[in-house]
Amino acid sequence: MTDRKTALVRLLRAAYPHESFPDGPYERVADAILAQVDDDLWLKIALEQGLEHLEAAGLDGSQDDETAEKLLRELEDAEFFKLIRAVTVVALYDDHEVWELLGYEGESFSKGGYLNRGFNDLDWLPDPRIDEYDGPEAFIEVAEADQPANA
Amino acid sequence: MSTESDQQQSGTPIDDGTETVVGQTEASSAESSQQRFGTAIDEDTEAVVIIGSGAGGGTIAYELTARGIPCVVLEAGAWLKPDDYENDEWPAFGQMAWLDNRTTSGSWRVASNFPNLPAWIVKAVGGSTTHWSGATPRFHEYEFKVKTYYSGVDGANLLDWPIGLADLAPYYDRAEKAIGSTHRHGRAPQPANNNYKVFANGAERVGYKFYATGPYGTNAEPYDGRPASIQDGFNFQGDKQTAKWSTAVREIPRAVATGRCDLRTHSQAVQITHDAQGRANAVLYLDREGNLHRQAAKVVCLAGNTIESPRLLLMSASSLHPNGLANSSGQVGRNYMRHTTGSVYARFDKPVRMYRGETMAGIIADEAKLDTSRGFAGGYYMETLSLGPAFLAAFVEPGAWGREFTELMDAYANTAGMWIVGEDLPQETNRVTLNTAAKDQWGLPVPNVHFDDHPNDTAMREHGYSRADLLYESVGALGTHHTPPYPSTHNLGTCRMSERPEDGVIGRYGEAHDVPGLFVSDGSVMTTGAAANPTLTIVALAIRQAEHIADRLAKADL
Repeated sequence: MTDRKTALVRLLRAAYPHESFPDGPYERVADAILAQVDDDLWLKIALEQGLEHLEAAGLDGSQDDETAEKLLRELEDAEFFKLIRAVTVVALYDDHEVWELLGYEGESFSKGGYLNRGFNDLDWLPDPRIDEYDGPEAFIEVAEADQPANA
Repeated sequence: MSTESDQQQSGTPIDDGTETVVGQTEASSAESSQQRFGTAIDEDTEAVVIIGSGAGGGTIAYELTARGIPCVVLEAGAWLKPDDYENDEWPAFGQMAWLDNRTTSGSWRVASNFPNLPAWIVKAVGGSTTHWSGATPRFHEYEFKVKTYYSGVDGANLLDWPIGLADLAPYYDRAEKAIGSTHRHGRAPQPANNNYKVFANGAERVGYKFYATGPYGTNAEPYDGRPASIQDGFNFQGDKQTAKWSTAVREIPRAVATGRCDLRTHSQAVQITHDAQGRANAVLYLDREGNLHRQAAKVVCLAGNTIESPRLLLMSASSLHPNGLANSSGQVGRNYMRHTTGSVYARFDKPVRMYRGETMAGIIADEAKLDTSRGFAGGYYMETLSLGPAFLAAFVEPGAWGREFTELMDAYANTAGMWIVGEDLPQETNRVTLNTAAKDQWGLPVPNVHFDDHPNDTAMREHGYSRADLLYESVGALGTHHTPPYPSTHNLGTCRMSERPEDGVIGRYGEAHDVPGLFVSDGSVMTTGAAANPTLTIVALAIRQAEHIADRLAKADL
């Protein structure tokens, strides 16, 4: 069969499709999955079988996204796929290259926060009021119809 | 996932020679494994023993030691300092979340998505004030009287509080000053961050009036010896710059500085005992090595959060209290509430960058009212919310994958977010019990948390989702996503306050109906949960309770 890591990356790209992501983040997730099954024979076998099954079913990178996802949906509850999802949802989005690709800047304390680095730079809406309302309308805690007879 | 970062931290260790050491016990050398801070109190000295150092316990420790009353504080976690906090979601979670084994049951989605993580709370000095977001609304008057006001609701264990807003108002003032709530007592408002700009403009366009950037427990200007926010975007991971109030940066250090506080970290309480007359007289606890200790007590203040507090009472069953300590009502562990929550994330065609700035400095109060024409009793707040990609991926739609999921993530930079938080109704069957089939790291039965939504909770959540959709659509959202409730951050009600002993666990000052000298001092005391974020009310109740305890001690009445 195809190299396990290559097959895993293909699967990950089908299950978590991000056009803007290079292979690097997916490869790191594949490594994390392989490391996790390395000392668990049961999971290792489940992964091997799952990948073989997918290859036999035709997941070879030639399908469109929709077809690939449909193929995976049928296996959604298979143990190997649950393992892959559990690792990926953490590892892929904890990857700092992915943060950059998604436009997340992360820790800012060491840079003085975002105070002078755009915490309020949104300019496509007017600046709203920040104080509490002090207009003529009173806040009504309890609607008239909900006043208890004996309160 | 526990870490040992506590080993590197400084603090005020009892044996470093910089503190007055009173009555060093013979056990102290055997206790070298234990972290102690402040001024030693002998284990045989009957002290005020406070279990937990969060919003409730930390406040009690500060208020009592400031009045000259010696206190032992038992904290299960480490004393993490601001320098220790990790501004990175998963490492921070591993550093401070309460990750001891717990189990779940019931129809709530948390039980299937996060079966061993019913609650997202903190195990560290400061408790969950370490990671709280900071919103500090008060309860409304009607929210203390839901049995009176929600008469048409079936299937809920409704009860009026034995106290009302008038009883609590002066303590709300003191709590707001302690916390430094913005928009209150002359404190400046937080500025508008990007997420708030979307939120507040949407609010205005759908006709909401009662929105603002607070009240919020993080300094907009320097206050109380702590700096103004630099808008660094991290709250749920601890605030490195200490602009945010927590008992770990205010009450606990000040209590320790009085010379009357003995803070013992890594100390897991396992039993509260009573004397032959039924008075609370000691707390048994484990140190980090698992050695069992007994601290004598004349007063015990239990503040272990809404899951651990009833667990400890249930583990403290005795011949006088066969169903658990202070449980003649059978209500210990029952009426577990978690607030009706949900989040809404909206995608736009322009950048938002919701992660920059104070996470929850944005509150809409227009829906926090009683108006059953909406189809449910009780009210809810809308509050700005942001997660980083790591947590958004885990929580936005747990278990999801495929194109629909990755589209949410691809839109990250153009996404605005809000949290819906409202009153859920107490139900007797929503409860914390001991699961003797599962053990924690010490071999003790773990707490099981059972929860089913009440139809009122579901109706409120759906209303909140639809109003959030309208709000975001009014400012041009391309689409919105409804995120289900996370593991609970607001945990309430399992030792509820009641006028009559048969209806609840504690009386109007938090003393157990059945056990003189035993007080409960955390969010578990809430008879009902109201819509407001609970921390301000926990602090106000704790200040009031501490005053009561001090008065009673002065009269030799405890």
